[in-house]
Amino acid sequence: MWARIINVLLGLWLMIAPGIFQYSSAAADNGHIAGPIIITFSVVAIWEATRVVRKWNYPIGIWLLVAPWILGYDSTIAIISDIGVGVLVLIFASVRGKVEKSYGGGWSSLWKS
Amino acid sequence: MTDKNHLIPPGWDYNPASWSERIPIVVLAMIGFFIAGYLSLYQFEVIDSVWEPFFGDGSVTILNSKVSHVLPIPDAALGAFGYLVDAVTGIIGGTGRWKKMPWIVIVFGLAVGPLGFVSVMLVVFQPVLFSAWCTLCLASAVISIAMIGPAMDEMLASLQFMKKVHKSEASTWKVFWGSSSEIKKVE
Repeated sequence: MWARIINVLLGLWLMIAPGIFQYSSAAADNGHIAGPIIITFSVVAIWEATRVVRKWNYPIGIWLLVAPWILGYDSTIAIISDIGVGVLVLIFASVRGKVEKSYGGGWSSLWKS
Repeated sequence: MTDKNHLIPPGWDYNPASWSERIPIVVLAMIGFFIAGYLSLYQFEVIDSVWEPFFGDGSVTILNSKVSHVLPIPDAALGAFGYLVDAVTGIIGGTGRWKKMPWIVIVFGLAVGPLGFVSVMLVVFQPVLFSAWCTLCLASAVISIAMIGPAMDEMLASLQFMKKVHKSEASTWKVFWGSSSEIKKVE
């Protein structure tokens, strides 16, 4: 639960940081897009039956680590912010947390024979 | 008690189609319906202003944007219709619907899950396009996101059941549409 909440806060940070530090263009757009996606995946992963969705944040976290160079950020604060958030999102997305109930083998049972 | 227990899917600890699981989602969908309905009244020009406590002209900018009118009907009206589908497909069927009416559970799951996700993304990407924020649009996005997780467990139970049907003698097609004689063959 707490790992999901932290990732929601990190996603919110990505959404509001461009406004706080007044950086714009590619860095701001990236925050406005990646933030809501991280929040959505993290909130969905709060429930045990969809806990696996926490892993969908892995590609987003990795993207944040490389985005400053691919998109050519000109703001140092934006670079530090995105890399910091990327690392933290990867760490907290890897926390599985408690799963107390059973779900008939979960989603993977659908494609296992 | 035995009557309740046989509605718990195999390998599960609870019944994801019970009312206590479904009512909160239906309530959220109705709140979403009223918010999106209110915003669409502005887009249909029934009301000439919209409540916006934080972002000044933000709501007006977004609700009048070209993107929001790219379809024949305004996007908030589509959103209201989506929430109505969520609420109606959330309420239809008894507590055994994950196996007795798989089609409704799967329509419900697709409407709340993938469709909900796409609509949320469309709402929250608007700041990228118009540098504006809209309080009630964000509130509706929060509601949509909160509905996805709790709705997906029922979808999972139905999909697991359909997989079992597929391996059995019963007709997958007839079970999907809730034929009770075919469903008996699975059990």
